[in-house]
Amino acid sequence: MTQLVVQSVVKRFGKQTVLNAFDLEVAKGEFVALLGPSGCGKSTLLRIIAGLETPSSGDIVINGRVVTGLPPEMRNIALMFQSYALLPHLSVLENVRFPLRMRSQASRAEQERRAHDALALVQLDQFTERYPRQLSGGQQQRVALARSIVAEPDLLLLDEPLSNLDARLREDMQIELKRLHETLGLTTIFVTHDQDEALALADTVILMNGGRVEQRGAPEELYGQPRTEFAADFLGGANILELEVVRRGDVLMGLFPEGSEVELQKSDGLEPGARKFMLRKEAISLAPDTEMATLAASIETQNYLGSQTRSLVRAGGLALVAVTDPVSAKSKARDLRIGWRPKDLIPLTS
Amino acid sequence: MTAATPGFVKLLSITFVLAIAVYMLVPLIVVIASSLSTSQFLVFPPPGFSLRWYTEVFNSDAYLSAGWTSLKLALFTVAASVALGTPAAIALSRFRFPGRSFLSAIFLSPLLLPSLIFAIGLLIVFSRYGDGPSLTGLVIGHTVITLPYVIRTVSANLIDMDPHLDEAARIMGARWWQRYLLVILPQCRTGMAAGAFFAFNISFDDAVIALFMRAPNVETLPMRIYSTLEFSPDPSVAAVSTIMILLTIFMVLLLDRIFGLSKIA
Repeated sequence: MTQLVVQSVVKRFGKQTVLNAFDLEVAKGEFVALLGPSGCGKSTLLRIIAGLETPSSGDIVINGRVVTGLPPEMRNIALMFQSYALLPHLSVLENVRFPLRMRSQASRAEQERRAHDALALVQLDQFTERYPRQLSGGQQQRVALARSIVAEPDLLLLDEPLSNLDARLREDMQIELKRLHETLGLTTIFVTHDQDEALALADTVILMNGGRVEQRGAPEELYGQPRTEFAADFLGGANILELEVVRRGDVLMGLFPEGSEVELQKSDGLEPGARKFMLRKEAISLAPDTEMATLAASIETQNYLGSQTRSLVRAGGLALVAVTDPVSAKSKARDLRIGWRPKDLIPLTS
Repeated sequence: MTAATPGFVKLLSITFVLAIAVYMLVPLIVVIASSLSTSQFLVFPPPGFSLRWYTEVFNSDAYLSAGWTSLKLALFTVAASVALGTPAAIALSRFRFPGRSFLSAIFLSPLLLPSLIFAIGLLIVFSRYGDGPSLTGLVIGHTVITLPYVIRTVSANLIDMDPHLDEAARIMGARWWQRYLLVILPQCRTGMAAGAFFAFNISFDDAVIALFMRAPNVETLPMRIYSTLEFSPDPSVAAVSTIMILLTIFMVLLLDRIFGLSKIA
């Protein structure tokens, strides 16, 4: 069942078009990430879904009902702000009870019980009488989260949910958010500029660029099969290779600037001519096996990163970055052969 | 570590700060000491210690009724300036409308213009359109000079407020009046308290406007002190002043107790 439809939404601020005929459908219970660089329109889209901004044209449909002209207080949604926006003069329990109180759902005792339950769900039920300023950043975020789920909204919107936390807490919170989503099954949309966050949390990642969808798909799909240079680069960073595709009999070969060639895997639309390819850093092997396409290379420099080693290699006239396990990177001769599976060299459309 | 500031410069600046403190506190000490005098006259240093002038003050109908008038005046002024200044500050901080910066400047003008000018203006207006000076006239006059303080202190609160609170409340289902009452107004509490404190002190202390707006049956404490000084100066004036100082100190402590001074100043 479809929980949210964004129907050719356009948003202009003055002369600037922030969203350009944007379409989106989100199924009930789906966990969607709106991913993109700043200025791509992802926050504006979230605010339009919430009702805090009105689209210049187009419609928002939540749960089968057109809500485009409806103010946020009349939509049954929750939005967790980046700043958490806890009410500083109210206790934790009162903060969490606030949405129920405003919507006059149930009796006061029942509201308090539900607020308690929501706090228990984020493991904060021992702090009910504290005030927001007495809590750490991570705890404040849990309160904001409890407050967002307490009224069982049709949609849970999260604005950069993890960006205010330090690295360690962020990891905990990723696990927490995923667990909460699996427990409650709330349709969730979150905005992020952090590709790790999007990959770690979402069922579906919507990569946005310049007010439109660059590519949408499951995290594995977006990471594994990016269609454009932007997608390849934004998700994880990658080696972008400009090769000349040439036909040799019935196989296509990729010609490197210095003249060496590697066999290319057949794919739709791959034709002779100049073409950009993506090669993930971790797809490059410093000890290639027989199934790999190989190339003579030399290691220019290496960075030891703990669980991995990053090597800058020069091959075929191009500088490539390879990320491998430290053992295979260690004690490598400066001149060697590198390789990758042909399917990992992915043609891009520009 | 090497000291960033040479020792003698530090010493000099500390001495300077101390000198300022002494300069500010000496008049208060002189007043308090004089109030405990045995002398008939206002002299310093006092020849001996006694509390007789305090007894005198508390037995004087003139002082007591002036004190009562001043207290009423100050409380009405506080009520009026907080009631008007808080919504004004909220409107100025939340809405962008033509003439907004002009209005901001107008609201601050009593801080900048001498109160003497206001006093003259008020007197003319009240003589022309009202039935002359009265307690109501004084309340209005004091409200005009205390409003800027309330607008200032409440505005400071609103600047500190998380700009997303209002939107978060909307998302949680709060209607516009619920957001004003339950979200925005509570964020103004410390500013309202600080503004009220300033308004009380200014009103309780004011002699200029009170002098111009003096009505036959309205005498405030500062006016009483002034006329006593003029016609029969004795240490009772110092005793009343000391009581006013203690009242201020008490209010500062009270505010600190409730809100914490660091949030207000």
